[in-house]
Amino acid sequence: TMLKGMTRLISRVHKLDPGRLLHTGTQAPQNLAAHLDDQVSSERRRAISRTSENDPAKHEQQHEGQHYNIPLSDLKALFPQGLPPRYVKQVKTFNEACLMVRKPALELLHHLKNTNFAHPAVRYVLYGEKGTGKTLSLCHIIHFCAKQDWLVLHIPDAHLWVKNCRDLMQSTYNKQRFDQPLEASIWLKNFKTANERFLSQIKTQEKYVWNKRESTEQGSPLGEVVEQGMTRVRSATDAVGIVLKELKRQSSLGTFRLLVAVDGVNALWGKTTLKREDKSPIAPEELALIYNLRKVVRNDWNGGAIVLTLSQTGSLFKPRKAWLPQELLGKEGFDALDPFIPILVSNYNPKEFESCLQYYLENSWLQHEKAHTEEGKRELLFLSNSNPGQLERLCACL
Amino acid sequence: MQVPEEFLVLPLVTENWQMLPFDSCLWTSELTQVRWSRSGPEYRDPQIDKGYYRKELGKTQHVKAAPTALALKPSSVFENPLISTFTNMMMKGGNKVLARSLMTHTLADVKRKQFEKYHAASVEEQVTREHNPYTIFHQALKNCEPVTGLVPILKGGHFYQVPVPLANQWHYFLAMEWMIIEYWEKKYRRVLMPEKLSYELLQAFHNKDPVIPRKHDMYKMAEAEQVLAHYTDSRWHRKDGAGCSAC
Repeated sequence: TMLKGMTRLISRVHKLDPGRLLHTGTQAPQNLAAHLDDQVSSERRRAISRTSENDPAKHEQQHEGQHYNIPLSDLKALFPQGLPPRYVKQVKTFNEACLMVRKPALELLHHLKNTNFAHPAVRYVLYGEKGTGKTLSLCHIIHFCAKQDWLVLHIPDAHLWVKNCRDLMQSTYNKQRFDQPLEASIWLKNFKTANERFLSQIKTQEKYVWNKRESTEQGSPLGEVVEQGMTRVRSATDAVGIVLKELKRQSSLGTFRLLVAVDGVNALWGKTTLKREDKSPIAPEELALIYNLRKVVRNDWNGGAIVLTLSQTGSLFKPRKAWLPQELLGKEGFDALDPFIPILVSNYNPKEFESCLQYYLENSWLQHEKAHTEEGKRELLFLSNSNPGQLERLCACL
Repeated sequence: MQVPEEFLVLPLVTENWQMLPFDSCLWTSELTQVRWSRSGPEYRDPQIDKGYYRKELGKTQHVKAAPTALALKPSSVFENPLISTFTNMMMKGGNKVLARSLMTHTLADVKRKQFEKYHAASVEEQVTREHNPYTIFHQALKNCEPVTGLVPILKGGHFYQVPVPLANQWHYFLAMEWMIIEYWEKKYRRVLMPEKLSYELLQAFHNKDPVIPRKHDMYKMAEAEQVLAHYTDSRWHRKDGAGCSAC
């Protein structure tokens, strides 16, 4: 009865003034109170910040703002590439991968659950200011689709394909275009890790001749094409092109569902920093990878969905403050992507902010004494403006 | 956080009154006037406490226009004077933005390293492991702080290195300076500052840093020159400074 009384008193005190310590008369109840205080506050934190629902298909409005856990084994299989580097560091530090369920992702999940696979693929574009969580929302969607057994075609950062390419060679297939063997082979390796089980099921629908000695027959599994691209690095770009073409063609047949997820899609229609030997600039459509990717992102196929993310962070020749689709895509890109469903990813609302802070406190990431107090929280809110990226950077050093 | 006592006795520099630098022969523990005052003695210091203005105001008195050190107190809750001093010492060419970002990265690195070791450690170690980068920073500097130092004193035409107990601000100034110089001079080719500094801070926290032998070297030299300790007598007794004409 004394315990019940204590817990009721503590919960009432918490409602009134969570920051103050509990002052009681004698020693023993004070220790007990402190212990119960800790327990109750940690339970409160868990209730705000975490949910036990780890299946993205069952995430609903009530889970908004809460973190759900992705098992680390799944993480390695699903995301060999594509997670933001700071998030990877956080996963390594906390030894767990927790993602927050947010409104843009919930909206997209609702749309994806109700897609009509007979209609052409719908394009969804996640846009927002820097650091608001577009890439992580995309990762949430990919997790959902992988759980639902879709084939996920994930390009982690299209900006990496238009800049800093060491080995650019003239394409064997089409003399006007350029090959990027290194980027293509890396992508093929990661694609294989993510979609191992589909590679043996899907068969090619025509014969591909690589060179005088090697060719892939019609009806052979797609895994062979991927292997060919990985071993013969010179033809890696062509292998990527073949994979994209086959997947697009066969998704309409209905054997599997295709999700095309591209991060930083504004790279496809911008400018590149790559130059020919005579120092003249190369346009994006002259790169074979970009040319093939543009074809996949067109909505002339059915049996899946296309989820795209705009990103200013890696983009070339775009002002830092630009974040709207029209600004980042340009006229050409916007016309190519039109019509699409834009989904705004904004800063944290107060509930999400509180949840994020509670998550950090639970993992004892916020070590500064003042971070637990109301003043500290207000200061963090002010300094970060509820921007998730900024908040993460601020909390790292506190 | 609980501010250590050393900081509470920092010389409060008002706009016109200042403590002279330590190694001056005219050094006393008194305040001397160094600048002319803009406001006369009848003016009060500015009132920064908002609560005062919410109450009913009594008789008004003229208030000084320029803020004092109390008014310049930082408004951030996470402010730490030692960390700010360290950041200023790391700064080169006035690039405070870079210095501050290096400081934040250093603290974040310290925290991350401790977390990683936590996951790999056994249960007993997990309980005792310190995660707070600020406590690690303070403890590391405390471990590196020298208590006695050598000061050059002119006597009979020659400069002698005399061992002397160092004042508070010199303790942590020397510790910080040695730590930064340790990085600047002894880093491998492309090692970044946060990485090396976080490593150094953790080493100093466990009393293994190369800066600590430097402190012990200072103590050894001080012991060697113990005989000259009485040379400091002239500084304490002769305020006019007729004997010591250095500085």
